[in-house]
Amino acid sequence: MGTSVQVTPLCGVYNENPLSYLVSVDGFNFLIDCGWNDLFDTSLLEALSRVASTIDAVLLSHPDTLHLGALPYAMKQLGLSAPVYATEPVHRLGLLTMYDQFLSRKQVSDFDLFTLDDIDNAFQNVIRLTYSQNYHLPGKGEGIVIAPHVAGHMLGGSIWRITKDGEDVIYAVDYNHRKERHLNGTVLQSFVRPAVLITDAYHALYTNQTARQQRDKEFLDTISKHLEVGGNVLLPVDTAGRVLELLLILEQHWSQRGFSFPIYFLTYVSSSTIDYVKSFLEWMSDSISKSFETSRDNAFLLRHVTLLINKTDLDNAPPGPKVVLASMGSLEAGFARDIFVEWANDPRNLVLFTETGQFGTLARMLQSAPPPKFVKVTMSKRVPLAGEELIAYEEEQNRLKREEALRASLVKEEETKASHGSDDNSSEPMVIDTKTTRDVVGSHGPAYKDILIDGFVPPSSSVAPMFPFFDNACEWDEFGEVINPDDYVIKDEDMDRGAMHTGGDVDGRLDEATASLMLDTRPSKVISNELIVTVSCSLVKMDYEGRSDGRSIKSMIAHVSPLKLVLVHAIAEATEHLKQHCLNNICPHVYAPQIEETVDVTSDLCAYKVQLSEKLMSNVIFKKLGDSEVAWVDSEVGKTESDMRSLQPMAGAASPHKPVLVGDLKIADFKQFLSSKGVQVEFAGGGALRCGEYVTLRKVGPTGQKGGASGPQQILIEGPLCEDYYKIRDYLYSQFYLL
Amino acid sequence: MASSSISLKRREQPTTRDGDQLIVTPLGAGSEVGRSCVYMSFRGKNILFDCGIHPAYSGMAALPYFDEIDPSTIDVLLITHFHIDHAASLPYFLEKTTFNGRVFMTHATKAIYKLLLTDYVKVSKVSVEDMLFDEQDINKSMDKIEVIDFHQTVEVNGIKFWCYTAGHVLGAAMFMVDIAGVRILYTGDYSREEDRHLRAAELPQFSPDICIIESTSGVQLHQSRHIREKRFTDVIHSTVAQGGRVLIPAFALGRAQELLLILDEYWANHPDLNNIPIYYASPLAKKCMAVYQTYILSMNDRIRNQFANSNPFVFKHISPLNSIDDFSDVGPCVVMATPGGLQSGLSRQLFDSWCSDKKNACIIPGYMVEGTLAKTIINEPKEVTLMNGLTAPLNMQVHYISFSAHADYAQTSTFLKELMPPNIILVHGEANEMMRLKQKLFTEFPDGNTRIMTPKNCESVEMYFNSEKLAKTIGRLAEKTPDVGDSVSGILVKKGFTYQIMAPDELHVFSQLSTATVTQRITIPFAGAFGVIKHRLEKIFESVESSTDEESGLPALIVHERVTVKQESEKHISLQWSSDPISDMVSDSIVALVLNISREVPKIVVEEEDVVKSEEENGKKVEKVIYALLVSLFGDVKLGENGKLVIRVDGNVAQLDKESGEVESEHSGLKERVRVAFERIRSAVKPIPLSASS
Repeated sequence: MGTSVQVTPLCGVYNENPLSYLVSVDGFNFLIDCGWNDLFDTSLLEALSRVASTIDAVLLSHPDTLHLGALPYAMKQLGLSAPVYATEPVHRLGLLTMYDQFLSRKQVSDFDLFTLDDIDNAFQNVIRLTYSQNYHLPGKGEGIVIAPHVAGHMLGGSIWRITKDGEDVIYAVDYNHRKERHLNGTVLQSFVRPAVLITDAYHALYTNQTARQQRDKEFLDTISKHLEVGGNVLLPVDTAGRVLELLLILEQHWSQRGFSFPIYFLTYVSSSTIDYVKSFLEWMSDSISKSFETSRDNAFLLRHVTLLINKTDLDNAPPGPKVVLASMGSLEAGFARDIFVEWANDPRNLVLFTETGQFGTLARMLQSAPPPKFVKVTMSKRVPLAGEELIAYEEEQNRLKREEALRASLVKEEETKASHGSDDNSSEPMVIDTKTTRDVVGSHGPAYKDILIDGFVPPSSSVAPMFPFFDNACEWDEFGEVINPDDYVIKDEDMDRGAMHTGGDVDGRLDEATASLMLDTRPSKVISNELIVTVSCSLVKMDYEGRSDGRSIKSMIAHVSPLKLVLVHAIAEATEHLKQHCLNNICPHVYAPQIEETVDVTSDLCAYKVQLSEKLMSNVIFKKLGDSEVAWVDSEVGKTESDMRSLQPMAGAASPHKPVLVGDLKIADFKQFLSSKGVQVEFAGGGALRCGEYVTLRKVGPTGQKGGASGPQQILIEGPLCEDYYKIRDYLYSQFYLL
Repeated sequence: MASSSISLKRREQPTTRDGDQLIVTPLGAGSEVGRSCVYMSFRGKNILFDCGIHPAYSGMAALPYFDEIDPSTIDVLLITHFHIDHAASLPYFLEKTTFNGRVFMTHATKAIYKLLLTDYVKVSKVSVEDMLFDEQDINKSMDKIEVIDFHQTVEVNGIKFWCYTAGHVLGAAMFMVDIAGVRILYTGDYSREEDRHLRAAELPQFSPDICIIESTSGVQLHQSRHIREKRFTDVIHSTVAQGGRVLIPAFALGRAQELLLILDEYWANHPDLNNIPIYYASPLAKKCMAVYQTYILSMNDRIRNQFANSNPFVFKHISPLNSIDDFSDVGPCVVMATPGGLQSGLSRQLFDSWCSDKKNACIIPGYMVEGTLAKTIINEPKEVTLMNGLTAPLNMQVHYISFSAHADYAQTSTFLKELMPPNIILVHGEANEMMRLKQKLFTEFPDGNTRIMTPKNCESVEMYFNSEKLAKTIGRLAEKTPDVGDSVSGILVKKGFTYQIMAPDELHVFSQLSTATVTQRITIPFAGAFGVIKHRLEKIFESVESSTDEESGLPALIVHERVTVKQESEKHISLQWSSDPISDMVSDSIVALVLNISREVPKIVVEEEDVVKSEEENGKKVEKVIYALLVSLFGDVKLGENGKLVIRVDGNVAQLDKESGEVESEHSGLKERVRVAFERIRSAVKPIPLSASS
């Protein structure tokens, strides 16, 4: 009778690898999260590649690489073509994160796993939902309702609820129950008794999280200590996730203290990130939206933070101590890596990690205790070609161009027609002849940059199986293609179409520097050299990960108390620890599957629906208990006109049933109640409550985390025969409903 | 105790019909425009939509008819958008009435609500007594207002609701409310036409059972958007090209932003105009710009995509103007100024100085209230009266181009045809327009399955929804799907409007509730021989079993399979049992018995021969008790012929057969009651069967 549910991890179990799980609900395959790590290790995606084509829908939970990094690659190379569901911020910030990843990688390697076009295509058809929006899936997923809810870890971050026939499957990883500056805490605790909970054990062994205030104080003290002695502070951060919280803390502290040390936020997309974030107030904490509503004060109008999008701006900044937040947090690529290498050997400087680095990255290495004195770093740089290389390249280019021109002339007419005629359905992914591209890349790294330019104004001549060559006809100056503004003017009469025009173009805003990088067609190559970097700067790690700690995770799971629990994403010890804990205290069905091991978590819950007849209901008197009302029913099954089972009152006398006491007695509350009634009451040893002179009352039997989870309560009341005894017994009865 | 939950005071059948009645009462905006406020009640849940004031009245007279309802019973108040006639009585309602429910509006609405009402309080020139609320009330109300995002589902006391984009103005929402499966859509003001920054009103994916819809535009049809935008820009272009000035009197919020977008875009497309300044002169609009610049997500894709390049609400060709002193009137220009009606203020000052030059133009962009100057000049009089009392010739060109963002007839009828709600309630429309709309809609829905209602203020519309209550039986009880005639017994748990039936020991599994068992242990002083107790107990109880306590090896008795009696020491015995009404009773009688043993010397007399006699006596006693109880319940009870009891209540007669329990009566209600009462009395006077401990 129950809905069949299977969970198959594709990546990210028994280790800290990126997250990617296949959840199949009555044969409808959800891919929940589609993560990759900062090293872009394709071996991590093997499991995904085997099932990618069978996926029916993709749900994304957080806008960082670990949760959605593999989406462009999977869409392009692995045959993933399902619709993607995410919240607006996850979509937007995820897109920017991927841009930043790509541009950082591109700068230091011949990165060819995916292109900016692939990123755009992957994110183009994301269906955006708001929190608590119950979205009814169409088509094959008929009857399934999905809804994102606040996760509290990153802006827009979601826990997903998948509901079918009243049974909930909840996917909650990386949630944070604590409220932060820019985010509300998760609402996970509002779900009670779902059929399945899929959650991570990432922090299961992590305890003694410092209180927020103390942590903030230490954080700011550490930073200002280094600034005051003239050092620089580097915070390796993610592109658009946790960094927002750090920015707010710094911004707030700077305005309170009136610091004049500059703060720089340096990623390839920093200014767009903040621009978007400014329009995401709906998704932030109550205090942020309240302050905007009352004073129109947008918390992300950063007054003390300078947004930078290339390294030169930072180099040109006035000398002196400064704080730099730069991506990537792993120090594997991006500006953070360059800056680290530059600053590492000055003992006045500080590298402050705000989260645990991904496994096997430079950041993780530096976080080990004791920190290494030296690290070997391979630094790569993109340099323009010169001399013979340049000549060789140009010859090759000319040869290619001639070939292309020949081919182009054959299809040009058709091409032009197609590109102009179908401008407004550019939603179709552009097909680039990847083989050609690869060849070019093989011999001359960046030669395919031309393609990127086209990618930015997708011509959607996608139907053509060939590379669109009309850029040959374009004129170029030092800024790139010469554009005719009139082409972009939206004429009055086709304003509606114009809207769709822009609608198709979800490239998002790229910063000028980014654009210049795109448009930079100068032939270049990547050179690498290995350095030994002396690490003399201070290395500090503080917890700004925004995840609940082990204790909270346990109490959260106990509160939710799912019927079946699936544990993912944590090292083996943590997974095992949490599994044992849950088995002992919370629920008997805990699974921690291996990669590609399918666990069937179909609920063995039996259920059927009946109609409650008016005649029966008019005789039922409900007793109110918290949110719910309860009553005992004795009824007989009948049929309604529509052949539905219905419950009718019993014809004869109902057979007697064992009375049930319903209620949750909390000894402490009861103590208060008794003293309010004038009974002398105090705690005696062993959790017993001494009421009056002689009577004692205690809870016996196993006590669970919460009364609800571990079976009925056992209460023992004893005493000699006296008036008090009966009085207290009456008070005790008054705490329950007898059914 | 099987039937303890079913009280003798059973409710009569017809009362349940009340639960199915749905009432909709407009407290304002019923056959009028202004002070929108619609009350709805169903299944004991009360909802209020909108809370506006009537702009034409002042003081208490401007409020909706709040007296009609008890504000403390309202569960949820939903505000569709920030306009005065939809939101302005909110501070009053929140701060000056007994209302203590929850209030919801969208983020953008809340942000503008405060600015708009603060401004409203400042500019409305009424005496202190007439002031409905002050700025402090507005600030306090802000704390009570909760925000809801579009499509987000919120549940309050079992009422589920969510909202759809309504077009109209920034943040405007249509609310869909779901109470026990009955869906009600309240559109507020809506527009089905996408414009430069707003999305068109969405078509809800579910058809509602009732649609409460605005009817401002009645049967009118709007001009196509492109035509009116072209007229608008053409007038402006030609006027400034000839060196004239253009005045656009407009309300600060709503349409003004749309017009600014049009102008900014037009200027961007016509570089020849770039040296001609555009001003918007409204401090309120300026303040609200931050809101428009922020809640981009509530706008249409066009704006969202433009936002990818630059914020479209950061105007390139338009500058704000604080007062006329900052304005140097040196040449052609375009000024958008408040108030929209040209009553006073900056728009009037500019009008006065520009009206006599025929090169100048004035564009009235929307519906104007009767009695304002703006309404007067639409008819192009020869002369107008200036603010200083003098008259001046009206030479400037006056154009009326309506940018109204209310649905017109075409939009309304297609919207309703798509939704096909069985009940349509028209509100927010002038009475005559509304009647015309109603007539015309009737012709659109000729099949007669659609009710169209136009209640006046305080006039209730009643509807009945025969909602079926469905329960889900889960867990052990559902292991086998029962057939007709099988019995189902368990705990019925009601949460919101969902019902679940489960076995008592699974209560903690499927709900947040838990069950408990209470074990009682009581010690009684008793110095006699334990055997005596056993003997006495056997006299009274059907089952007394001897056993020994496992730990101490002392003798113990299990009475009636419930209560364990143990000899604790020479002087004490203990009783232990698990609480439930029968066990409690058994234990009480054991206690009484034990206490009496120690008081009086036991008389051990064999009374075998009395058994028959005492049974007879018992039977008589039972009959007496039954009779007494029936009298206490029904009053007039007499012993009729052939041993039947005749019961008379309010002229109805029932005859009760004491042996079989059969009842004969013409009145079915009485018959049922007597039957049940008799059954219960019988079960009460019978001895406790052992089986009750099952």
